[in-house]
Amino acid sequence: MQEYLKMEREQAWRIELRNQIKNKERTALPRVKMPEMDPQERICYQDREVNLGLDVENARREASRCMDCVNPTCIEGCPVSINIPKFVKNIERGEFLEAAKTLKETSALPAVCGRVCPQEKQCEASCFYTLKLKKDPVAIGYLERFAADYERESGQISVPEVAPKNGMKVAAIGSGPASLAFAGDMIKLGYEVTVFEALHEIGGVLKYGIPEFRLPNHIVDVELDNLKKMGVRFERNFIVGRTATFEDLKEEGYCAFFVASGAGLPRFMNIPGENYNGILSSNEYLTRVNLMNAANDEFDTPVLKGKNVAVVGGGNTAMDSVRTAKRLGAARAMIIYRRSREEMPARVEEVHHAEEEGIEFINLANPVEYFADEKGRVNRMRIQRMELGEPDASGRRRPVVVEGSETDIDVDVVVVAIGVSPNPLIPSALPELKVSRWGTIEVDPESMQSSIPELFAGGDIVRGGATVILAMGDGRRAAAGMHRYLTESK
Amino acid sequence: MANLSTRFFGLELKSPVVAASCSMTGNLDQIRKIAQAGAGAVVLKSLFEEEIYVQLQEELNERKELAADPEYLDYFDYVIKEENLNKYISLIREAKSEVDIPVVASVSCISSSEWTLFARKLQDAGADAIELNLFIIPSNLDKNHEANEQFYFETVKKVLEVVTIPVTIKISPYFSNLGRVIKDMSATGIAGITLFNRFYSPDIDIEKGSLISADVFSSEKEYLQPLRWTGIMAPNADCPLAATTGIHNAETALKMLLAGASAVQVASVLYQEGISAISKINEGIARWMDTKKYGSITDFKGKLSIQADHAVAYERFQFMTYFGGKGF
Repeated sequence: MQEYLKMEREQAWRIELRNQIKNKERTALPRVKMPEMDPQERICYQDREVNLGLDVENARREASRCMDCVNPTCIEGCPVSINIPKFVKNIERGEFLEAAKTLKETSALPAVCGRVCPQEKQCEASCFYTLKLKKDPVAIGYLERFAADYERESGQISVPEVAPKNGMKVAAIGSGPASLAFAGDMIKLGYEVTVFEALHEIGGVLKYGIPEFRLPNHIVDVELDNLKKMGVRFERNFIVGRTATFEDLKEEGYCAFFVASGAGLPRFMNIPGENYNGILSSNEYLTRVNLMNAANDEFDTPVLKGKNVAVVGGGNTAMDSVRTAKRLGAARAMIIYRRSREEMPARVEEVHHAEEEGIEFINLANPVEYFADEKGRVNRMRIQRMELGEPDASGRRRPVVVEGSETDIDVDVVVVAIGVSPNPLIPSALPELKVSRWGTIEVDPESMQSSIPELFAGGDIVRGGATVILAMGDGRRAAAGMHRYLTESK
Repeated sequence: MANLSTRFFGLELKSPVVAASCSMTGNLDQIRKIAQAGAGAVVLKSLFEEEIYVQLQEELNERKELAADPEYLDYFDYVIKEENLNKYISLIREAKSEVDIPVVASVSCISSSEWTLFARKLQDAGADAIELNLFIIPSNLDKNHEANEQFYFETVKKVLEVVTIPVTIKISPYFSNLGRVIKDMSATGIAGITLFNRFYSPDIDIEKGSLISADVFSSEKEYLQPLRWTGIMAPNADCPLAATTGIHNAETALKMLLAGASAVQVASVLYQEGISAISKINEGIARWMDTKKYGSITDFKGKLSIQADHAVAYERFQFMTYFGGKGF
């Protein structure tokens, strides 16, 4: 890998580009700002993207900040090992389609990753600017998005080369980021790949979980089309273990399986009153809006549109839910989170956008009980103040109850966004499969192979919860592991 | 034949000997044997909120390798809590279906909201009563005695508001005015107070120069502190008292009953001598009652408490008179 990167870096055009601008000048450039839609305007639309993307000029200027390091530490921060300097330098020299091609060498979903990856914790956290210069990193995420968007808008979408078919059929279960990354790699290796999806839409959490103001569905569809063009088959409304068993699929010729069935089981707090009408999981809330068009009056799918909406949690799902509530017309859309703002797991950008949109943050507070009107509809929640105690094993300070601090808040919709648990369908269909006490599938961390040799797994069903890019990394590792297994088993 | 029945936990018990909350009472097979041995009731192993926190730390450490999304682990204590509660609820249900003696759930929390949440769940699971294991060690230098006491009183009040089954408390002796706290606590509406909780204790190994755990079991000599406070408070409390710590035989159990306890809770002796210790204590109490011609526990309960003109004996702290002039 190192040799390959070195060879790529020594190509004439890269050397020439490096010599055009001195590093001192590159590092003097400020990081580009992402243009955004006006907060007051954007809260009127569920499906209009907040980030508008970089234009050519800004993208090239930002790309020129990259010093094309000898040791590109940014790649180490990328779970799918994108050749970051190569794609960035292609943008700098104006070869945007080449940049997109570079992304696709290792990533099946560049337009998605450019939008939803927590780059600030991954590639950008490992950028030379961050590590050594203590300056703002190169905006790798913005540039990734730029390259992918440019390619899509140009209409000259490249389809990665695939090896001749090897006659072996493999299946991916679930159609989220882990499966799509797996499918992309396996199809390139010459396998026949079918992705089975339980729902009527392909994309998994990219479609049902992430709102269109962050990740428009048509962006996901383009990436899916690309996989289709490469030869990946998609089966909708197909529940492996129910619609057909693993044995049925084996009889149809599938010789190995990649399980990435996600974490679709919502968690609740089990506090008094949580079963009242008007209290729902973020899964349900977001699925209704994102996947079933509940925000659109022309669709029959109902969703509760509250005036006083409280969202419990501090992650991206909580931010997505509360910002959705605002777009559905909530006068007061609140985050109730038991730790401080600094400790919220949500991306800084999402918190910032939520603040701009008028979301109210009630930090260091936790619900203890809900109350309802005579019809059983929630109308009040009791919260208690928290303070921060000693750091726990995650390094964050533990929330501790402040006794006697309960207060009530008027609410008519509550969205509980405190995490999800693994989907139990596959483990329940395969009693011999080794799972943890929390329902996650146990795998070898290198090959992603489970206790059933022909079954590999990744994403949320293995980690409990994974970011899009980590899930994709799992998918890629599983593809490599499965290819090795099938090759050796021949 | 002596009648050993008594009342504690707001319930009629066929014997004053109760299996105290311990690891043994977290096991269905042992619970069955405890009932067969003639225990008046069984207090299930405590459900500790603090244990959930410890389990969370273990899980966070294990999960570091998986680099799970921080969102997944942000509220993982709720997952662990639910698992613990569900296990405990199953234990209550199974115990209730297996034994014919009262099954008392025991719970120990850090925050009052959790006490009430747990108490509701345990009541719903079918527990006959709840014992609140109030166990804060008063070592937090930022909190004065009032803060700790207020926390206890508020917790008890809140739990009583949300459950209808009897609630008792088990306390430590660490209060600045223990008598008054017991008195006030007894008037809150609780069905009993058990004196006293026995904590894990550290010890020091002087050879290795390190801290070690002291003996986890009580010794027969440890009964004197609960005896004193049972004797002092039984006539003054508005609810029944039970004694625990150091009760290893019928003789000590009888001393507690004579001091005014309505029941005794035993744990260490069950480990040291086996569950049959319960039947031995029952037999010893019955034999003594027959010898003394007592037909029921109430015939002698509290006979030697403070009100029976024994105030000096109970409240004397110094040895001067006793040892005066004896050359010590």
